[in-house]
Amino acid sequence: MAEGAALTAASRPGFGARLRMLEPVTLLWVVLVAALLFLVVAPLLKMLLISFEEQETGAFTVMNYATAYGRQRYLDALRNSLLLGLLTATISVIIAVPMAWAVSRTDMPGKGFTWAMVLAAFVMPPYLGAIGWILLAGPNAGWINQVWRWATGAESPLVNVYTFSGMAFVIALHSFPLVFIFVKSALDLISSEMEDAANIMGAGTWTTMRKVTLPLVWPSILGGFILIFLETIALFGTPAIIGIPARINVVTTQLWQFFEDPVRVEVAAAYSIPLLLITVCLIGVQKLLLSRKGFVSQTGKGGERRQIKLGPWRWVLFAWCLGVALLAVLKPLLVLLQASFAKAWGRGFALDNLTLSNYRMLLFEHDMALQSVWNTIWFSAASASLALILALLIAYIVVRKLFRFAGGLAFLAMAPFVIPGIVLAIGFYAAYAGPPLMLYGSALLIILAFAARFLPIAYANAQASIRALHPEMEEAARILGSGRLQTIRRVTAPLLKTSLLGGWLIVFIVASRELSAAIFLVGPRTRTMSVLLYDLSEQGNFELVSAFGGILLVITMVFVGIGMKLVGRDFMLRRD
Amino acid sequence: MMMIDRRGLLALGAWAAATSKAFAQGAIPEHERVLYEAARREGEITWYSGQYSAEASEAAGRAFNERYPGVRCNVVRSTSQVAFQRLSQDLRAGVAQCDILSSTNGGHYVQLKRQNRLMQFRPKNADGLLPDLRVADPDNYYQTSFLGIYLLAHNTRLVSEADAPKSWKDLLDPKWKDKLAVGHPGFSGAIGLWAMEMRRLYGWDYFKQLERNKPQIGRSSIDPVTTMNAGERGVGVAVPSASTLFSMSRGNPLKLIYPEEGVLAALSPSAIIRNAPHPNAAKLFMEFQTGVGLSLAVRELFNESIRPDVPPPDGSRPLDQVKMLAPSIEDAEKGVPEVRDAWRETFGV
Repeated sequence: MAEGAALTAASRPGFGARLRMLEPVTLLWVVLVAALLFLVVAPLLKMLLISFEEQETGAFTVMNYATAYGRQRYLDALRNSLLLGLLTATISVIIAVPMAWAVSRTDMPGKGFTWAMVLAAFVMPPYLGAIGWILLAGPNAGWINQVWRWATGAESPLVNVYTFSGMAFVIALHSFPLVFIFVKSALDLISSEMEDAANIMGAGTWTTMRKVTLPLVWPSILGGFILIFLETIALFGTPAIIGIPARINVVTTQLWQFFEDPVRVEVAAAYSIPLLLITVCLIGVQKLLLSRKGFVSQTGKGGERRQIKLGPWRWVLFAWCLGVALLAVLKPLLVLLQASFAKAWGRGFALDNLTLSNYRMLLFEHDMALQSVWNTIWFSAASASLALILALLIAYIVVRKLFRFAGGLAFLAMAPFVIPGIVLAIGFYAAYAGPPLMLYGSALLIILAFAARFLPIAYANAQASIRALHPEMEEAARILGSGRLQTIRRVTAPLLKTSLLGGWLIVFIVASRELSAAIFLVGPRTRTMSVLLYDLSEQGNFELVSAFGGILLVITMVFVGIGMKLVGRDFMLRRD
Repeated sequence: MMMIDRRGLLALGAWAAATSKAFAQGAIPEHERVLYEAARREGEITWYSGQYSAEASEAAGRAFNERYPGVRCNVVRSTSQVAFQRLSQDLRAGVAQCDILSSTNGGHYVQLKRQNRLMQFRPKNADGLLPDLRVADPDNYYQTSFLGIYLLAHNTRLVSEADAPKSWKDLLDPKWKDKLAVGHPGFSGAIGLWAMEMRRLYGWDYFKQLERNKPQIGRSSIDPVTTMNAGERGVGVAVPSASTLFSMSRGNPLKLIYPEEGVLAALSPSAIIRNAPHPNAAKLFMEFQTGVGLSLAVRELFNESIRPDVPPPDGSRPLDQVKMLAPSIEDAEKGVPEVRDAWRETFGV
């Protein structure tokens, strides 16, 4: 393209002069717009169109909307999803913010442990956590309730996973790391001078945290809250595994029903369009709350960062982190591990209950298990790379306001998050599965769908990083004669290296556990581990599912380990 | 079939194991050999299966691979309604991925045949099926590949044999509140058939009363087996005999109950999709399913054999001593979607 343009420029001076005026960054802008059109707009537009189409004839109709909202059951599902999203996001913020503050700003012990546990909670797919919690908090057989009954002689269970709050809690236990990572990385950038200023004016540690530190990271908290809300209402696995026995119907499980034969994509589309309006509102609210305030905390001037001495309070914070680690990681992992080596998990920890047959079945006897492992790894890596490159470039244009209507790009990059994975998959399915592209069942379709689905995470990450980076460093480079793209490459990108790798890992991890976007796009040989796990979980064979989950966790941890090794310890802990 | 004593059973078991081995190594008959040659050029066959459990489906796929090297079976196992949903998605996109659909809900085949989605093929091996199963469709668009028995079971530690329910009707007794577990007709084809039969016997009121006992609802009909193993619920409703027997063989304290009204017998076919990407391999797989290969493989996991020359699985009651409720596949086409919808209104999910 660039070469062609140069040739044309040489042969036709008049046109060439105009082309020379075109900065390479303009060309980039065109490419980005095209990519967003392909990944986000076309599938959404297709969905919007078919929501007004009559099935088979394609004639205009509004009946799809009447069908989609014409029954109490369907409206209940919508209300359940919204409540679930709010409750989950709230629990996540309550769990995560103290942890992030403790790890980033204080002298709490066990920071490495806490960080590892947060990472483990994040790596564990939510449906695997859900299964772990069924083993822990099933009203009759759950380990916690068995111990409770044995200890107190009580009749009724202590905890019940098959409830609305139980489901929200289980989802939050695997979503809170998003808030943690956002808030911690924002806190890491705040220099102690601002806190010192507050101290000098007479504020104590708690007042400073409340009035200075937390307000500075408010955008990250809000960003995390919104992402978790959106992720929760788009979640499919946990509502299928816990919600069906708990008799709670949500948007995603309802959408699934619209896709039953006869496949009513039109009604499903109509059912999901209003969710887009909710995103628009949420992003509007976020804008409103953050406008007129400055949150720039990283400048070219450096600044010292010191740990706050907490005294005995550091043990209280550590206890909090330990408690979260127990609930989110250690206990579910323990019961899953037990189940994966058990003939029947309900028979408990006994020698004659031990077996390797679950692992043997998966590793040597199952047709798809190993293939799905490989699929998962390379689909996730490819989509993470694609999403992050796009997100970085878009965020740069948006934050630096290089073009008019740049905000539109931001909206498009954020939009996929609210589309339940299933619906995004159907948008992709409708737009690209059939002719002319015929991508159905191919790896490319899944990679593109994953990249589109996780563009918002990559974007939020890239945007937050760039926003915290004062333009003065780039301006210095520009003044010294560097072009815009060279500045990005030589100044901006190196400054963002760590947070970008963090972003890549986040997308890799969420993609490796992604279920809802995959379930309608996979073909027989492109099934991922999450889809295979979901298929296996249907018949409730928790022993086999646990073993497969164990394999998934080991693989993801290896990749995370490699990532940490490459960036060094500063990925895990604050730089000194 | 007559009663077989323990020694006879052992002999049969040994015979089956020997046959199994002989079958994998044995000569391939002429009609299969021709298909096999053509199938080797296609290389694989994709099987959307909801009939046998994940373990049994994988075992069947492996048995096929061993019998016909060079043709690989892609096993895509899910519940039957989900398998059909996947096929519907394929058909709507116009992308052919599935060669053979095996669903417990026979209604799917009536619908697909009417929509002209199936390929006509009569496997020669179908002549050797149990007499009642030989002709599933006079036009030969689909062939019987599954005989599933769905009944009651209980965890003997939680529910004693004397207390256990004896009939489907017994489940409505309030004493079973919070003690039952059942699959879901939106996922499991067999549960769809069962719900249809209960509606025929007792009217939909049966489920309104059942709802008051708050059964725990899973997805697959096999799900309650795990729920019972765990001790979460004491009684499994409309569970497959195969998965229950398999679970018992792994040491779980379960016991089968043959309900007075009769067990649900799902006689379910398989069919080749008209636009199958591997038509010859698909035909070969149909020969495999109707031949001894499939029955030998799934029998090891306690599934019923569909051929007289392969003995029934260990521990199951001979079928001629069992009262059966066997809904027709014609009724299932309309009936299963009806009960699925009614179920969602009654149970909320």
